[in-house]
Amino acid sequence: MNDTAKPRQWNMRAQDKQARLDSIADRLDGKLAQRDDIAAVLYGCIRSGDRVIAEGNNQKQADFLSKALASLDPERIHDLHMIQPSVGRPEHLAVFEKGIARKLDFAFSGTQSHRIGALMMDGTIEVGAIHTYIELYARLFVDLIPKVVLTAAFKADRAGNLYTGPSTEDTPALVEAAAFSNGIVIAQANEIVDDVSELERVDIPGSWVDVIVEADQPFFIEPLFTRDPRHITPVQIFMAMMALKGIYAEHRVTSLNHGIGFNTAAIELLLPTFGEKLGLRGKIATNWVLNPHPTLIPAIESGWVESVHCFGTELGMEQYVAARPDIFFTGHDGSLRSNRAFCQLAGQYAADMFIGSTLQIDPDGNSSTVTASRVSGFGGAPNLGSDARGRRHATPAWQDMAPAGDKLGRGRKLVVQIVETFQAGLIPTFVDELDAVTVARKANLAVAPVMIYGDDTTHLLTEEGLAYLYKAESIEERRAMIAAVAGVTPLGQRADPNTTQRLRAAGKVRFPEDLGVSHTDATRSLLAASSINDLVDWSGGLYHPPARFRSW
Amino acid sequence: MNTSELLQRQSFVELSARARVAQLLDGGSGRELLGPFERLTSPWLALQDIVTQSDDGVVISRGTVDGVDVVIAAIEPAFQGGSMGEVGGAKIAGALELAVEDAANGKPVVPVLLLETGGVRLQEANCGLAAIAEIHAAIVALRAWVPVVGVVTGPVGCFGGMSIAAGLCSHLIVTREARLGLNGPQVIEQEAGIEEFDSRDRPMIWSLLGGQQRHATGLVEDLCDDDVRAVRARIVEAVQSGDTAPARIENIQAFETLLAAIEPDVLAEADKVRAAFEQQANHAGAFS
Repeated sequence: MNDTAKPRQWNMRAQDKQARLDSIADRLDGKLAQRDDIAAVLYGCIRSGDRVIAEGNNQKQADFLSKALASLDPERIHDLHMIQPSVGRPEHLAVFEKGIARKLDFAFSGTQSHRIGALMMDGTIEVGAIHTYIELYARLFVDLIPKVVLTAAFKADRAGNLYTGPSTEDTPALVEAAAFSNGIVIAQANEIVDDVSELERVDIPGSWVDVIVEADQPFFIEPLFTRDPRHITPVQIFMAMMALKGIYAEHRVTSLNHGIGFNTAAIELLLPTFGEKLGLRGKIATNWVLNPHPTLIPAIESGWVESVHCFGTELGMEQYVAARPDIFFTGHDGSLRSNRAFCQLAGQYAADMFIGSTLQIDPDGNSSTVTASRVSGFGGAPNLGSDARGRRHATPAWQDMAPAGDKLGRGRKLVVQIVETFQAGLIPTFVDELDAVTVARKANLAVAPVMIYGDDTTHLLTEEGLAYLYKAESIEERRAMIAAVAGVTPLGQRADPNTTQRLRAAGKVRFPEDLGVSHTDATRSLLAASSINDLVDWSGGLYHPPARFRSW
Repeated sequence: MNTSELLQRQSFVELSARARVAQLLDGGSGRELLGPFERLTSPWLALQDIVTQSDDGVVISRGTVDGVDVVIAAIEPAFQGGSMGEVGGAKIAGALELAVEDAANGKPVVPVLLLETGGVRLQEANCGLAAIAEIHAAIVALRAWVPVVGVVTGPVGCFGGMSIAAGLCSHLIVTREARLGLNGPQVIEQEAGIEEFDSRDRPMIWSLLGGQQRHATGLVEDLCDDDVRAVRARIVEAVQSGDTAPARIENIQAFETLLAAIEPDVLAEADKVRAAFEQQANHAGAFS
């Protein structure tokens, strides 16, 4: 040992945090910062090169703080490494264009998907990786430990206790990573109250939070999961009927997650009608890992649903959820408690099935919603749509996926892709190579942004038929099964009719007539609700749709 | 409404024109005139590379509703926005003119118009407008003998020249989702500016043009649920009533007074419009 060396200090992070907070102490009243001081607070708390989380969730956005961040002087603050579950606001990208930030790790980009694609390709944004949510949270505790977290709440008290309520979403995971690694947590709140007794409940303890500020306006929240039943097409209803018969009933799927498209909305609205006729109530689709989809209301009201755990909330559903505490997870104040980290875990380990749509599928069954310049990220889909290899508990649906004669009893999660063979504008869904491959090359991504890997996909459902991919005995057979349901796309036209016939005979591919589903039965009259208005009626007036969905 | 009632409800808005007719007519009584197999298609759309429809988006059918002789003219909302072209317009006008002849010969046939239309088909311009004018004239002529029943349920609403046809009907039935107005929201926005009328502000649009507002201001007679049975029940009542010309149509003076009182530079709001109509109604007993 070299005794001339200074003994190592073991609390450098704590000292650094204290120094930063000391530098803004005269601007704070306890933990409370004045709105006008927010730039000074950020200059005090953030250093160039820091890892910073700007809470952009799927829905809730810490927009007051992210706008303040984007207005900083890049001469003083630059080269930030932003970590964001969702990049959903224009200012999230402005921090890169202005040179305040350089590197980005994220999961979902939603409305900014075109612009983010362009900025990645011209080198303005250096992307670490496009994660799935739970993967990004995981890295916050390993190799992406944040220095500063900018978060958002409905209410805060002066001690820093936060009420995040129905929109808790990612907040606990993001805040925990900083709060217990001597990072700094800055929270914006729509309203600041004096005492904890004035909060509906405490979602984040005050001791985890360093600075609070009252936002100039309530945080932005996006109704991402409202699908107007008016836009559900007969083809989607047809496919929903095939799904209910050929997958839900076939494998007795009780626990599940649905994607956010119209295909799965159609399934939700068919449960009380077509599903009821099949006698499936109580036998399938009882336990859900799902945001409070308005289109699930009829199924809940007619007794199909036992439980729903939510990633986030949905605008307009607050009162309905609060009035159904036996179904949803709610706090003692009555309002929903969402939690994306736990919900993603639940979707991975406890749900038997994920079913969702996509934009492109390649001959091996890999799928992606990344096309040309649109880099949307996939949020939770890569996690929900993959087999949980650590799973060790059996359910009938999961075990149904086990190979015949398997002595270990090892099942699989059902991962279902439900797509029409052509997208709008006659663009084939089935392609020889995913656009994601090109995008990865142009944007210098080490991993092509694939949403769901082909070998995780157990079922592929199109309007042409249902391929039970988990039954494939070889890669070649698997490809043939995919081609068999690819319709008249170039890939589908290469399918060999004799092979397809053999696959049908073996029950590896089923056509609608094999399932006893007829086009003429697939009418919109089968939907339990055909408009947003109907959903309001089903909810007994408890659902209050956002203005843009109203047609009365 | 309980769960089983909700499940039994069948949306009228959802139905195609032909399915609407089938639901309204007494079973087995329907006979379609100039049906799709006559292949009377628009001569104009094809010239503009637009796919035609073999009934040109209009279904005409004779039959009975609860035993009353009717002719139903149903506009297909899913074809070209329910627009009135030369052929479709002429089918309606011709049907109404035959009904005038029948009525004059002592065989009253009650017309029921299912108006789901953005008005004239722009691709057919004057040909469509001429047909609409003929429809107006025939409705006025028919009212001397029989009630003329108009139904607007959505999803398109009833706009343009066909909104005048609706206004001429002796009995108008709407749902909450229906919209009724001379100019559609986009047209108003385009002409008057987004400050005057934001065509994406759905609650504002329905608050001014929607079925509830039109009913509250006495411009339509019936407001009913979007349910096939409910719509049919209202139509049965209307075709059986002998009332051919409600005060809404006759008292032009009252409308002129109301119009004169409107200040065009004040932004219209639903409550104020209702109050103005109410005041005028109390004044003149006009709108009931």
